[in-house]
Amino acid sequence: MINDTLFFMLIVGIIISAGMLLIFVWAARSGQFDDSSKMVNGLLFDSTEDLNDAINKEKNLKEAKSEKLKSEVEKLKEE
Amino acid sequence: MSIVKCNHCHLEFNPNVMIKDGNLNFCCKGCQGVYHILKDDGLDSFYDKLGNKTIAPPLEVSNDDLSKFDSKNFLDNYSSTTKEGFTQIDLIIEGIHCAACVWLNEKILYETKGIVEANINFTSNKARIVWDSDKLKLSEIILKIRSIGYNAYAYDSSVADAQASKAKRDYFIRMMVAVIASMNIMMLSVAKYTGFFTGISEEVKNMIHIGEFILSTPVLFYSGWIFFKGGYYGLKNRMVNMDFLVASGSTLTYTYSMFILFGAKGESYFDSVSMIITFVLVGKYLEVIGKKSAVDTLDKIKSSLPLEAVVIQDDTKKVVALNSIKLDDVIEIKAGDKVPVDGIISKGEGFFDESTLTGESIPVYKKIGDSVFSGTINSNSLIEYKVTKDFKNSTFSSIVTLLEDSLNSKPKIQTQAAQISRYFSLTILSLALSTFLVWYFLGLDLGFNYAGANHFEKSFIVAISVIVIACPCALALATPMASLVGISELAKKGLLFKEAKFIESLAVANKVVFDKTGTLTKGELNVVKMRVLDDNIHKLNLLYSILCASTHPVSISIKNYLKEKYALTEKKLDNVKNIEAKGMSAAYTNIEGKTFELLGGNLELLKQNDIHYKFDSNKTVYLFAINKKVIATFELEDEIKDNAKDLIEFLQNKNIEVIMLTGDNENVASNIAKQLGIKSYLSYQTPISKAQYVKELRKQDNVVVMVGDGVNDSVALSSADVAIAMGNSADVALAISDVVLLNSSLKSLKDAFLISMKTYKFIKQNLAISLIYNTVTIPLAMAGLVIPLFAALSMSLSSLIVVLNSLRIKMK
Repeated sequence: MINDTLFFMLIVGIIISAGMLLIFVWAARSGQFDDSSKMVNGLLFDSTEDLNDAINKEKNLKEAKSEKLKSEVEKLKEE
Repeated sequence: MSIVKCNHCHLEFNPNVMIKDGNLNFCCKGCQGVYHILKDDGLDSFYDKLGNKTIAPPLEVSNDDLSKFDSKNFLDNYSSTTKEGFTQIDLIIEGIHCAACVWLNEKILYETKGIVEANINFTSNKARIVWDSDKLKLSEIILKIRSIGYNAYAYDSSVADAQASKAKRDYFIRMMVAVIASMNIMMLSVAKYTGFFTGISEEVKNMIHIGEFILSTPVLFYSGWIFFKGGYYGLKNRMVNMDFLVASGSTLTYTYSMFILFGAKGESYFDSVSMIITFVLVGKYLEVIGKKSAVDTLDKIKSSLPLEAVVIQDDTKKVVALNSIKLDDVIEIKAGDKVPVDGIISKGEGFFDESTLTGESIPVYKKIGDSVFSGTINSNSLIEYKVTKDFKNSTFSSIVTLLEDSLNSKPKIQTQAAQISRYFSLTILSLALSTFLVWYFLGLDLGFNYAGANHFEKSFIVAISVIVIACPCALALATPMASLVGISELAKKGLLFKEAKFIESLAVANKVVFDKTGTLTKGELNVVKMRVLDDNIHKLNLLYSILCASTHPVSISIKNYLKEKYALTEKKLDNVKNIEAKGMSAAYTNIEGKTFELLGGNLELLKQNDIHYKFDSNKTVYLFAINKKVIATFELEDEIKDNAKDLIEFLQNKNIEVIMLTGDNENVASNIAKQLGIKSYLSYQTPISKAQYVKELRKQDNVVVMVGDGVNDSVALSSADVAIAMGNSADVALAISDVVLLNSSLKSLKDAFLISMKTYKFIKQNLAISLIYNTVTIPLAMAGLVIPLFAALSMSLSSLIVVLNSLRIKMK
């Protein structure tokens, strides 16, 4: 019984750490650790304003992309 | 007198020189301007982020070159189009000192309409900007960056850079996977090894084995993939390299442990598998980082050359990209410009700062017919010159190309430990193979019984146990452990070794090549002898005034020297004239209306003015005369660094030959060499001839250490076995070097040799220990007589002895 519990915990532990590792691998692949000095200093910039900026960045990027797509399509139509 | 902080850059100044702006103080117009821009844009939280740090005051850049950024030629060369149809460019931002600077630049770019992405890398100062070219021009982006006190250069983002970044990311992930898994395996191992002493049930032990198996599998096959690949390419070239040994050793150990896991009797060694791979991988990762930062600095250097040049054709001026400059074109350069390609001056004369090529800080005077080299700076006049070499073959570009090549072909050092372990491992592998064959075919059975194993398996397990018992552990730890202790000892003395293997190379070096300026000498002129023939304070004031009017290093040095000795005031001089390469002349009118004629400069200047003054000196000379009468004489010299003589003597006592290479003239070189007791020296050396000399030495089977500090030494540094750079060196020299003397002192260089030699002695001891251990245990293993518990304990014990022995390096 005790051994079963021990084994269960061992497997659960490995699964959890594997999950964490996958998150880390994803983050590293997307380039979040490319700049070590910026990564370390990133901790300092966590005010509400900074977080809002980050969201706005994503939003602007999406908008710009769709806008560009529209204008390209229009250009093609004109031609 | 109190000092006041500038509200923008936080540098401290005397209150008298500050610009007052309400309650605010600024050190210059630039700071004031940037402060108001930030305030108006609501970006003043920059100052909270900056905290107590200081930044450099904004760069003063004229904006009249902005139009070139929008030219089609420029955009074609440097920008590309993304698949969404945006334009993308890579820039290097100048002036970034802290995280707040990165934040500010990104923020102001993101708030500009039309910019889609702006990502600035803090470590390399490179920025990738993606924008919509229909809405925004590149010149507007550059202007934005300049308006807040930074500057941006375009650079040709090279293939090397993309490769280095990719390799760095790849190795980082592999290393982290190995580190995380190994840490977990270590925790399980603690439980297992405690079980040896307290008793552990088979069932729990099996559980631990299963856990270790799951964790070590990705380490071997994902993180260790690099070694499989490296070993494969090695075999293809008929070489058994270290990669092959790491891969084969760990795979065999892994296979052996699998047998144990599935029921054979014995101990599993999954922990050793993951540890070996992790340790070796960490070392490899450090190499990759080093390469990436070297590529970054090279890009920075490349971007420091101008992008275009003004070519004069039939009296019209045309701006041309560097690549399309042809031989015999006539190029015009203004004061302060960098020379883009090599050539010969056809009009004008002036001083050139050649410090990047020669390492000498004193500008060189050049007139019509003299050659100019790319990368040097035209200090003060308008010059036209005829091109003699195209961009690719010009001095500066060829240095950069050489450096790029050397990054990919850094001399491979075969350390002794690597050599020994190669022969050792080959021996072990063949011993294991023959053990297997003997057991299998002769059916030897010395009575050791593996439960449930058939004949093949039995033979296999015994063969593997030979490898496991001879485990590269102690041997693999012999060098790294001693090197690690050595490196930490060296770091305490301000010596930064980028890789452990350089300790060994330094210990066995037999030639040390020094650069002169900045390495053996301080690199600045100092007054060594002053004679004042008339110390009337009014006359000295005039001397001081004429010195103040010049920016030549000689004048500045004498000025500082005089300021310490006398209380002097500057007088207003008239008719100040700069006589190229000779000195200055001026006139002074006192209150009574009497006029004095002042002359300050070298002997030639006096001769030209009909003053025949006898003065013998092999040093740099400065003379000052009022109304044709010499008032004061100065002799200046580049001073030798403290401890230089001591270091040279030490090296020569150790039978290491010392050679000095310098771009300076024969006179100065022989003088310095004589003072230091250096027997061989070469003068008039160019960056490339220095490198050739080093390569020649290496060809003759010498282990060559190169010590240098400037861009001019960087090619030679990259071709030496060990490259040592001073802490205050140029960026490239630092990036390319293997060892950095953080305090630039030659005393720590002596320490570097001493500690390396000591560490090397311990490496050899460690190797001996592990070899002796192996000669005792391997026969036992081959006979199949190894008891599992003894195997596990002795493996830890041999490693422990090596570790403890290495720690003795710390002892005096």
